[in-house]
This record gives sequence, structure tokens and C-alpha cells, in this order.
Amino acid sequence: MTRLAIMSFAHLHSDFYAGAIAGLPEIEIAGVWDDNPQRGEEKAAHYGTRFFATPEELFAPENGIQGAIVTSENVHHKRDVLAAAQAGVHVLCEKPISVSMHDAQVMIDACEQAGVQLMIAFPCRYSPAAQRLMTMVQEGELGEILCIKGTNRGENPGGWFNDPSLAGGGTVIDHTVHVVDVMRTMLGQEVVKVYAEIDTLFDPSLPCDDAGVLTMNFEGGCVATLDASWSRPDNYPTWGDVTMAVIGTGGNAWADLFVEHVDAWRPADGTYLWEPYGHDANADLIADFARCIQTGAPVPITGHDGLKAMEVALGAYRAAETGEPVALPLA
Amino acid sequence: MLTVAICGAGGLGRNHAENYAAIPDAEVALVFDVVADAAAALADDLDARATTDEADLWADDIDVVVITTPTPFHADYTIKAAQAGKHIFCEKPMCRTMQQGEAMLQAVADAGVTFMVGHVLRFFPEYVLARDLIQSGEIGQVGVARTSRINTLPGGPNSWFCNYELSGGVTLDMTIHDFDWLLWTLGPARRVYSVGVPERMPPIDYGLTTIRFESGAIAHCEGSWADLGQFRTSFDIAGSAGLLRHDSTQMATLQTQIRGGAEGLAAVQVPESPAVKSPYLLEDEHFVQCVIEGREPAISGDEALAAVEVALAALASNEAGGKVVQL
Repeated sequence: MTRLAIMSFAHLHSDFYAGAIAGLPEIEIAGVWDDNPQRGEEKAAHYGTRFFATPEELFAPENGIQGAIVTSENVHHKRDVLAAAQAGVHVLCEKPISVSMHDAQVMIDACEQAGVQLMIAFPCRYSPAAQRLMTMVQEGELGEILCIKGTNRGENPGGWFNDPSLAGGGTVIDHTVHVVDVMRTMLGQEVVKVYAEIDTLFDPSLPCDDAGVLTMNFEGGCVATLDASWSRPDNYPTWGDVTMAVIGTGGNAWADLFVEHVDAWRPADGTYLWEPYGHDANADLIADFARCIQTGAPVPITGHDGLKAMEVALGAYRAAETGEPVALPLA
Repeated sequence: MLTVAICGAGGLGRNHAENYAAIPDAEVALVFDVVADAAAALADDLDARATTDEADLWADDIDVVVITTPTPFHADYTIKAAQAGKHIFCEKPMCRTMQQGEAMLQAVADAGVTFMVGHVLRFFPEYVLARDLIQSGEIGQVGVARTSRINTLPGGPNSWFCNYELSGGVTLDMTIHDFDWLLWTLGPARRVYSVGVPERMPPIDYGLTTIRFESGAIAHCEGSWADLGQFRTSFDIAGSAGLLRHDSTQMATLQTQIRGGAEGLAAVQVPESPAVKSPYLLEDEHFVQCVIEGREPAISGDEALAAVEVALAALASNEAGGKVVQL
């Protein structure tokens, strides 16, 4: 049995992870802390676990917490990861790892010094389609990879995601990192240049960006674009998408990770929705984190991976501000 | 009755020639090509004369010259046709360089002849409908407009399309359709950024172009000559009040499989959307009406050159290894 804690239910993915744990018999939610006590109490009750008023109480030795899932607002990832590390608890941190290179490096260093592992929540790594695509690319089935066209579009999640003081930006900090992580993993290369058009175009009243189209150069010569926009309307039949078109000298491949669905029309309330099916990558992500805790194996998605993906988003913002492509790594 | 000469007997030369043969107000009298066999083959099918002497194009009995040569020759033939007083239909892209395009516009203005470039998306019903919906405010202000145009390498590895200096590759030759539609729909463009691999031709060209418009809208255009399947197009236009999406692979009203092969198991599969009048025929009918009535065509020379400007900016951005090109 692996005893995990959840630190904050601010990020909506926290419910995905908690729900996935409910279906994993070897993992239990051994405690919850949240800087919003009312939300923390409610969630603890909902998932049949205990709420603790402070991280110190949560990580008290008698609770036996082995790992913490950090799903607070982006700017608070550092606070919560450092609290877990100081308690000697391994961490699975929601993406993006942080909102600045400095904070991300502080988090990575703190976990290293504490002797705990820091894993970043990139569930797309566990998508069977993404895994098959990454394997095809790595084994050369598509030849040399020339170009990749990616999208991670969605509905605007609202709430603190629209508050740059909590999220560190808008749609670009939110939606860049998943696809960039898959791209750099399958290519085994880093982004060396990024350009972006970023603006607030769908809801002009927002204090953050909601449209972003990035262009990236990888060190090996592959070029890629990524549409990271909150461009799906509120009545879109699903939350959004993660897609990649991969053009290689030996062939082409198209991945659409969340396309599996049954069309559903409900005349009573006028809705048309996708009823999704397919593999739950969130459960694999949690189970793999628990495996690494139990066996001491290195986590497959490191803090460095989180930092490098975030760096592309930060570079994109700088490119949009200056109107020029930005060289990576950031100076 | 307009007397039409076809200048360039390739695939689109045949397409337009067959259309003009079907338009009651026009007849194809002459087919010119520097390759005698090509001119003869098309001319025979249309009961027209074949020639390899371009001077025949400027003869008094010709009213209209349809220019369907490789791109770099559009300017020379257009200017000579204008000077001979011919009305001109020119395939897209209008020209290979801005200097060529400006000289073409000057020549047709001086001659006072009708001039139209074949941006046929203006006659594709799904693109017309999407533009109408956008312009009537159905999706509010356009935020991110994405287009895709995907094909196999045209003409085979030895064709002029595979010569970047001649064709400009997929971005100038094919993605320009989407550039024209976006300019027509969203207004002027401000800057362009593009990546691609035209140096891989043959067998591959592929380009991804981001355009920022004066309206604020961002467009992302995929052009592929890297594909191994059916030609297809799509768009996804997201606005502040809604979303428009179209995928040609989902809209085939007729799909056919023809049994073949030794065991009768191999098949030729063809998806299609038969139309009473093809967009190319609608385009040619429009041009004929404009010539007869002395009207300005729906696609002005300035608009055609603006689309070339965006495409050349994309090529320049890519050639520079990633450079923002201001328009």
C-alpha cells in the first residue's frame, strides 16, 4: 500500500487524480491539506480521508505519508513542493512545474537535497497513442522527423487560471507544456528557438492571454508549431484536444489522444456531447509515481523535464512581448 | 462569343479548356504549349488548333488568353497578352516575385483589359459559407483561424513543382489558396512567420505559417506535399462567439470502391462530392461574364498580389531560418 497526500484541490486535475486513486487498490489517499480549509474539508470527506490544517500536521510521522500530489495554483507549487520535501516526502507536482525558471530550479534543488523524488504530472506520456507514436519516432519508423504540428486547445477553465498572479500567465503557460513534453521526449532533443503570437482574443475582458500559436526549432533541425489556445467555445462537445501531426522522411503519423468518443445528443437540454472512452492515463501516472516510491526507481518525468517544458512557454511569452524569436535556454 | 486560347497544356490547362468548351459564350480555338505533343493532345480533344508559336496567341481572332504555365512564366505571358489587348485569366499563384506582379498589374491597367487570377476557393461553397458566417458576425471576432491543405507531391519528382526556384514549393503554390481566403475574409495581414522544408523536395515539402492580421486575428496555415493519401482540406475558425469547422474528408457525399487485383481484393477507393457545377467551372463562368459585361472580377489583381506577398513573406521567413517578416 502506498500512502499519498493531496496538497490543495485548487487545480481541477486533483479530482481526476483522486478519482483514479479510488480505482487503484494498492494506493490510498492518506490525507489532504488545502489552504482553503472549507474546500479541503469537503474534499477529504468526499474521498473518505482526513483533512489536516497545516502541511506539518499532514506530514506528521504517524500519518505515514510517502508521497504528495501537489495540485495547488501554479504560483504555489513551490511552497507546497518545498513543504513536502522538507518532510522527506516524494512529490508528484501538477504542470506547469512553476511560473519562473528560478522557482523551478529551487524546487528541483530542494527535492534533491532532501533526497526525495520530484515527478511532474504529464499524463500524456501514458496515453497509449502517444506511447506508440514516441516509440515509432524513437525506433526510426518515420525516418528523420522534419516537422510536427501540435494542438492543445481547450475551453477556458476560468477561475484562477485567468489570474496571472496565481497562474503565471494564461493559456500559453497552461497549454504549452503537455505537447512540448511529448515532442522533446520523442525527439530526445531540446527546443533552441521559440516564436509566438499571443494575445487575448476570445474574451477581451480577461486579464490574461487566451490565444497562443507557438513555432519551435529543435536542436536537431525539426521544426514544430503548437496551438495552445483556449479556443474551444463553452458548448464544445468535449473539453478540448491534444493532437500531433508528425512529418518524417519515412512517413507521416497523426495522433489525436482524446478523440475516442461516442456522440451523444440529448434533446431535453439541447446538448450534443462527446461521451469519452479509452484508457485513463491519469491512473497510470499515479500508479507509476507509487511504483517509483515503492521501488526507489527514478521517476520517468523529472523536475528537469518540467522545467524545460515550462521554459518554452516562458520563452514564448518573451517572443510575443519583443516581437522576435527567442533563443533557448533562456539567459 | 469569346474566342479563348489556352497558354500551357498541363493539368489545369485541360481543366479550364474543358470548362470554356462547356460555356455557351466561349469557345476554345487555340492551345499553345512549348511541348508540341502536349498542345496537340489537348487541342485534338477540343477540336482546337495546336501551336508551339506564342505569336499565335496574340492574333486578332483571340479574345481571351488563359495562362496555365508554370508560375515564373505567368508574368511574361500576361504582359504580352495585355499589350496585345487580350483579356487574361491567370492561374495562381499570380507570379513568382513581387516585381513580376507589379509589372503585370501595370500592363493590364495600361491595356484596360480584364484580368483575373484563379483563386478558386472563392468559388468553393464551404469557404464561401464560412466567410459569409464570419462576416455576418456569427462567431464574433475571429481569434485563431487554422487551415490545412494536404496533398501528395504534385506531378511527380521530375515536375517543375519540385523545383523551388520555379514553383516556390507548397507554400507559394498551394497554401496560397488559404492565404487568399484569409485575406479576403479577415482583411490585411501585418506580419508572417513560417517554417518548412522545401529543400527536401522531392519527395517532401511541408510548411507551417503563422500570420498576424491587422484585425488582431492569428492564422495558422498547414501546407503539405508530404502526404501519401487523398487530397484533403480543413479549417477551424475560432471566434469570440463561436467556432466554425470543416473537414473535407468528412463531407464526401459519394464514396466508391472498384474491385480489382488478381483475387479481386485490391481496390481503388475514391471519395468525392459531385457538384452540378465544379468550383472551377463557376470560376470560369464568372470570368467570362466579367469580360462580356466589362466588370471588375471578384478577385482583383491587387488581391492576388497581396496573397503572393504573404506567401513570399513566408518563404523569406523560412529561408532566413526563422524571421518575423513585417508586411
